[in-house]
Amino acid sequence: MLIFDQIRKNDRQLRVLAISVLSGLGLLLLGLWYVQVLSAKRYQTSQINQSFRTVRIPAIRGKIFDANGVALAENRPSYNVNLYLDELRPYFRSAYSNNFNWVMRQLTRTNSKARLTRNQRIELGKLTRYQVVSNLVYRVSSLLHQPVPLQDKKFLEHYDQRLFMPMAVLTNLNPTQIALFAEQSADLPGFDLEVQPVRVYPHHAAAGHLLGHLQRDDSAADDDVFFNYRMPDFRGVVGIEGAFDEQLRGRNGVKSVLVDSLGYRQSENVWAPAEAGQSVYLTIDIAIQQAAEKALRSAPVPYSGPVRGAVVVMDPRNGDLIAMASNPAYDPNDFAVRLTQERAEAAKLDDPILRPQINRAMQENYAPGSIFKIVVGLAGLEAGTLDPNEIYHSKGFYEIARGHKPIDDLAGPGDFNFRRALVKSSNSYFIREGLKLGVDRIAEMGKRFHFGERTGILPRQEAPGILPTREWREKNLGGAWFDGNTANLSIGQEIDVTPLQVAVMISAVANGGMVYWPRLVTRIEPQDPFSADQAVKFPAGRVRGELGISNNSLNAVRGAMLADVEDAEGTGTRAFVPGMRICAKTGTAQIRQGRKTIGHTTWIASFAPFDNARYVVVVMIEDGTSGGATSAPVAQQVYLALQKRESQSKPTKPESLVKN
Amino acid sequence: MFEIHLSGRQSRVDWGMILAIVGLMFIGVAFIYSAKPPSETTAWYNQFPVRQIIWYLMGAAAAVGICLIDYHSLARWSIVAYWTAILLLISVLLPHVGAYRLGAWRWIDLGFFQLQPSEFAKLAFIFIQAHFLSRPTEELRQPTVFVKAVGLTLLPFLLILKEPDLGSALVLLPVGLVMTYVAGVPTRFLRRLVSAAGVLVALLLVDILFAPPAWQIKLEDYQRRRLWVYFNRDFAADKSTEAERQKARLQERNDSWNVKQALISVGSGGFWGKGWRNGQQIMLGYLPPIVAHNDFIFSVIAEEKGFLGSVLVLSLYTVVLFTGIRIAGQARDRLGKLLAVGVVTLLFSHVFINIGMNIRLMPVTGIPLPLLSYGGSSVLCSLIAAGILQNVYLYRRNY
Repeated sequence: MLIFDQIRKNDRQLRVLAISVLSGLGLLLLGLWYVQVLSAKRYQTSQINQSFRTVRIPAIRGKIFDANGVALAENRPSYNVNLYLDELRPYFRSAYSNNFNWVMRQLTRTNSKARLTRNQRIELGKLTRYQVVSNLVYRVSSLLHQPVPLQDKKFLEHYDQRLFMPMAVLTNLNPTQIALFAEQSADLPGFDLEVQPVRVYPHHAAAGHLLGHLQRDDSAADDDVFFNYRMPDFRGVVGIEGAFDEQLRGRNGVKSVLVDSLGYRQSENVWAPAEAGQSVYLTIDIAIQQAAEKALRSAPVPYSGPVRGAVVVMDPRNGDLIAMASNPAYDPNDFAVRLTQERAEAAKLDDPILRPQINRAMQENYAPGSIFKIVVGLAGLEAGTLDPNEIYHSKGFYEIARGHKPIDDLAGPGDFNFRRALVKSSNSYFIREGLKLGVDRIAEMGKRFHFGERTGILPRQEAPGILPTREWREKNLGGAWFDGNTANLSIGQEIDVTPLQVAVMISAVANGGMVYWPRLVTRIEPQDPFSADQAVKFPAGRVRGELGISNNSLNAVRGAMLADVEDAEGTGTRAFVPGMRICAKTGTAQIRQGRKTIGHTTWIASFAPFDNARYVVVVMIEDGTSGGATSAPVAQQVYLALQKRESQSKPTKPESLVKN
Repeated sequence: MFEIHLSGRQSRVDWGMILAIVGLMFIGVAFIYSAKPPSETTAWYNQFPVRQIIWYLMGAAAAVGICLIDYHSLARWSIVAYWTAILLLISVLLPHVGAYRLGAWRWIDLGFFQLQPSEFAKLAFIFIQAHFLSRPTEELRQPTVFVKAVGLTLLPFLLILKEPDLGSALVLLPVGLVMTYVAGVPTRFLRRLVSAAGVLVALLLVDILFAPPAWQIKLEDYQRRRLWVYFNRDFAADKSTEAERQKARLQERNDSWNVKQALISVGSGGFWGKGWRNGQQIMLGYLPPIVAHNDFIFSVIAEEKGFLGSVLVLSLYTVVLFTGIRIAGQARDRLGKLLAVGVVTLLFSHVFINIGMNIRLMPVTGIPLPLLSYGGSSVLCSLIAAGILQNVYLYRRNY
């Protein structure tokens, strides 16, 4: 053979030459084998890495609905004008050659051998591109009658770093502009209209605390792939948006853009389309929610400025929340685009007293005041230390021991049985009963209502309250438990609750002893009916515990609560609504600083109707006058709204009747 | 085209080599077409593949022309050719004569054609070296003859180095070396020369790569940087400020760009390749269009035709080179043998350096791949070189 003949030659020099040439070619062959066969994968990967850019496409966020299917949070299309720079390359080229010729003419006028250096040509290219783009942007701006700023710095940054993405020129077009653009953009090269979903809360501040809000999210925490570019995305931070962010968000898609060596987009390929997020259905009725908010806002408080308080409306039959209002509120729409400084200031989001971002129905601890007497009364009735018919003569104040400062009693002196003591809210009566029971038995009854524990409806946005016990006091305040503390606890001081916990308590009293987990979300459902995701249902009426209290005791309390609204001397008469048979207990807890009373937290905790409770309404207002005067009218408004809702919805007939 | 000689009784051309060369020419046109697809704004006769075909035809004609005259007669003109080439190499360096392109004085602008004298100087050098060394062996033992042979090599070497065209200059050294070796110059001379050159190169590399800037010899800046790229040196290593470092990194990126992209082209071709005209590196412009069709044509072939294509190209060169060595063995005298050996070494050096730089075996030097790279001078010279081989073969028995 040709090769071996040469190697076997007698001529030593030619043999050496042949061997050298052969080993040289063999070396090349080995090198090619190494590069093209053994390392092919590596080089194919680096080719993909340099010529593909991955782009993260956010999914359309799921909606949030109320119990009747009214959208509380949805997406509105926002129209943006984008500029695709890759389509402008011919314009860049021709403008560059014009500019180049002009520059050369100027230069050669003085010096015929003048040349541009490489860097000067690069600079000229940059200027030319900016000039072309800014001329085009000016045309768009005059077409849409809106000044469009094009900062050269921003343009250069986009050109250098995100050339494979379209450049946003103008966002959020109004309908006229959309029409103008659609009609006349044909002779504008490179421009395109892009639709982007924007979160919108059609009821504005209504249920704002529950819904929560979004925040611009550019973190890469949840991605397992590296993205060259992440299209603007939002993350729910609080409320339902925060708690169910994962489900609402859906799955982001991945798009790969093929780019050339200069970074211009060549083609696009969607690897994985974004999957729309799932929708969340709430137990809330937006009509009642709005009524409760309106009632709360117009509560007769003794101060000017927004009312600070909360309303919780619950279905005692299963723990479903019908409404949960907190005032002052904020409009979650303000956060959806980008919260500007002025807007934040106008909404007084950081005001230390108003604190509109706090959901007062569950995020703040309050002393329950007299409404806690229900718990003390039930404990006494169950323990047998309290005889509901025994008459106690009150002196109008209570002295725990000789020499102690007597505790006032707004109910005044007189004879009290259990019913009258609850209706008139006699402190002396309940202090005596509390002392008979002792702190342990009161705390034990409080435990059955799950005071001091979170209900867990929204994570990280709920205060647990404090149910004090001997151990708790020793551990947290470092002192023994005295009778004075028991006396205070008996009238609802030294204990902290949230309005939501009170609603759970009243529900249990109203429904015969079932303590339910409050429910806010009924189900989570994919928007796309053909989605692989399964709908998740949250069952109604999940039982948290049973009170184990006899009907007699509950009836005694319920009767007294009915009298509180319907008897002339009751404290809750201002909550009265004809035909509703409302039962209530008011409370006015003192807020003390040292020895001075600096304010009152005013409560009404109520349910209706008396014999077949369907609603629980709890109203708490900071710094009110008294529970009866400040909070009861708010409850009345809520009940009126509930009554109206009942009259509007047609009574459902049994199925057999419909068929006939 | 060789028909005229076929009529002679024993004078026949070597068909194997011609077939291999025609094969290489086909591949050349096909992949120049791939690297430089026809553009609408250029006249058809100015398209790259068309021009390459024209060069092939002219080269073939030149080769046939060379074959018409016995190489002995040709060798008599070698002194004239050599000094003409030297003059051209000098004139390239003169202002108003040489054309300055891509940072070097390598061309003479003839209007229709950019003449690259260094290509022709290589052939002239082979001729004069063969002529000079084909004297009686006793004379070759004299050191003065050896020194003259070295001088004949160094003169064009230094002139080409001055252009600067390190690659073309370096190619002369193995050619000169192999020719003196095959001529029968005592090996101790060669050993001393090679070891001296080795020490010199080693010192040079140490100086360029490790010496403080003030101590480094004056290389062209881009040559130094090419060596840095080859040895994977961090450009920003000795920079103190962040701005300087960034500039150095950018420089490094620019300088290593061609090598990196060529390697990605070759490697990503894999075993089978992506198919003719499907090379992404060209399509997306990562392999720079100004070099893809000439110095880096092998990357294009390797990406689009894979390892199989590379093996085909290597095989064709193997046929040409080994046919050349056989012709050297069959030559009727030392002149013929030395001519063949010189041509084989020249072609082999080009192939090895060019393909080697595509796979990072060799540093980047602007050396064309014979017959495949686009370019008139290179194609003409390669075909003339093949003609010389055929000439030696043709007149092997013409005693």
